[in-house]
Amino acid sequence: MQLLDIRNLTIELKTADSVIRAVDRINLSLKEGEVHALVGESGSGKSLIAKAIVGALNNRWTVTADRMHWQGVDLMRLSPEKRRKIVSKDIAMIYQEPSLCLDPTANIEDQIAESIPDEFLKDVSIFSRRSARKHRVIALLHKVGIRDHEKVMSSYPHELSEGICQKVMIAMAIARNPKLLIADEPTTALETTTRAQVFRLLKSLNQLKNMSVLMISHELEEIADWSHTMHVLYCGQMVEAGPTASLFNLPLHPYTQALVKSMPDFEQGITHKEALYALKGTIPPLAHLPIGCRLGPRCPQAQKACVVTPIVERSHGHAYACHFPLIKGK
Amino acid sequence: MQPVLKVQALNKTFRIRSGIFKRRLLHVLNDISFCVAEGETLAIIGETGSGKSTLARVLAGAEIADSGQILLGSATIEDDGIRELSCRHIRLIFQDSNRSLNPGLTIGDILDDCLRFNTLLSAKQRLVKIKETLIKVGLLADHQEYYPHMFSGGQLQRIALARAIILDPKVLVLDEALSSLDPSVRAQIVNLLLKLQKESGLSFILITHHLSTVRHMSDQVMVMHKGKIVEYGDTEAIFNNPNSIITQRLLNY
Repeated sequence: MQLLDIRNLTIELKTADSVIRAVDRINLSLKEGEVHALVGESGSGKSLIAKAIVGALNNRWTVTADRMHWQGVDLMRLSPEKRRKIVSKDIAMIYQEPSLCLDPTANIEDQIAESIPDEFLKDVSIFSRRSARKHRVIALLHKVGIRDHEKVMSSYPHELSEGICQKVMIAMAIARNPKLLIADEPTTALETTTRAQVFRLLKSLNQLKNMSVLMISHELEEIADWSHTMHVLYCGQMVEAGPTASLFNLPLHPYTQALVKSMPDFEQGITHKEALYALKGTIPPLAHLPIGCRLGPRCPQAQKACVVTPIVERSHGHAYACHFPLIKGK
Repeated sequence: MQPVLKVQALNKTFRIRSGIFKRRLLHVLNDISFCVAEGETLAIIGETGSGKSTLARVLAGAEIADSGQILLGSATIEDDGIRELSCRHIRLIFQDSNRSLNPGLTIGDILDDCLRFNTLLSAKQRLVKIKETLIKVGLLADHQEYYPHMFSGGQLQRIALARAIILDPKVLVLDEALSSLDPSVRAQIVNLLLKLQKESGLSFILITHHLSTVRHMSDQVMVMHKGKIVEYGDTEAIFNNPNSIITQRLLNY
């Protein structure tokens, strides 16, 4: 069943003299139990999409969408209160810098206990609720792989390492048994060994609890081997989407190809210290986005037609937006 | 081949407090020895707190080691904590170029300061040198009138690189300099570094978490753990069969 179904999501920012379209007509659908990756460099609007889904954007941003269905309910048409209720019940989000997202004035036990909903403790008698809640906190900490629960529970965020903070954030996110976990670059602040632990944890949650994961990342290789489907974004435009394996083996868009080729590990036959394949130029700032295909000025294949925004084309579950896709014979 | 940089038995300790009056010695670097040949890259990998960054700062002269020698070419530049202050052949690039450049100065002034304090060049010669260096790192000569906030992340990293190579160093220490960049921009900077290395025989000491970059760029790898060298050898050999458990844990993620 389709868990999340978004059509033509557009996010705009009004400035004094113009309207900046930070996210331009993105389609996204997510099945139950699926790991979906949103890949893009900085400024590609991937965090904005995540925030638009949970409704955490402030009033300066205008979000429009043809539809944004969560299990058949259109989130855009609900009142903020109702929407908040649905979102807080079913969707959880973890952020990039865990130590900044935790409350510095409360200890970890109180913070996790706060995120456990009261409904979960309904059938416990009112006198033993306090201890039942504490047991749940301990169970959650064990679940995310923290063994030394006594010490962690009594400490404050600044006393813990970044890796443990991220695990605490995940524990708080899964306290409600959400159906969808949005992970907004959860591992950028972490080092390789803890990064592997966090990925393993998310993977096992996905497999054991059938929880869908929307992974947001700027590194393609991080998520290549465990996401099922993937969206590649560039400057707020969808570049290519489809099953991860086919995107890797047969990229149709020049940008995806550049991303795949810029990883020395995946590109076979590149010798030691040889120059990597790189696109020219830099990512344009939001205020000066080019018209048409936003990759245009940097694209090696760009032609005159690229000043018009390309239409999304589909073949075999693989969608791409390019006038001159990398198909042989075309 | 004669090594350009040679480090022998480097030790460094910090005094940290462990009680109200008690102080404890923390050994950050413990008997570190390695050498880098001209035009080669040494990659240093390890977890946080393994002493990588301290080593980078000691090499660049931002910290002084307690004991041990650093030799550059045939000259000793640091001997048991006594530093040759005029040495400007080892340069350091930081992770966050946005914060390591002075926002109040133009790029030209930032680069000019390096030359003014370290060389005897005249104003005209300095201007020529600045222009040359900016072009070398793939920017325009006109960019010297710009302020750091006018550049994107990748361009700022190029400016940081320009500031490092303007004094014609022999060794460049890259302390996580590639980590904060986006993939397509990182590929550009990697290409630029490789080109510079080929043209001028620069040696790099690359400190990073990013293993595929390490494998692509480096000739030798040093694995550090808690201030000690765990493994040290050719990149391919270590990536193909890591001996110690710590290396295996770092590589198999």
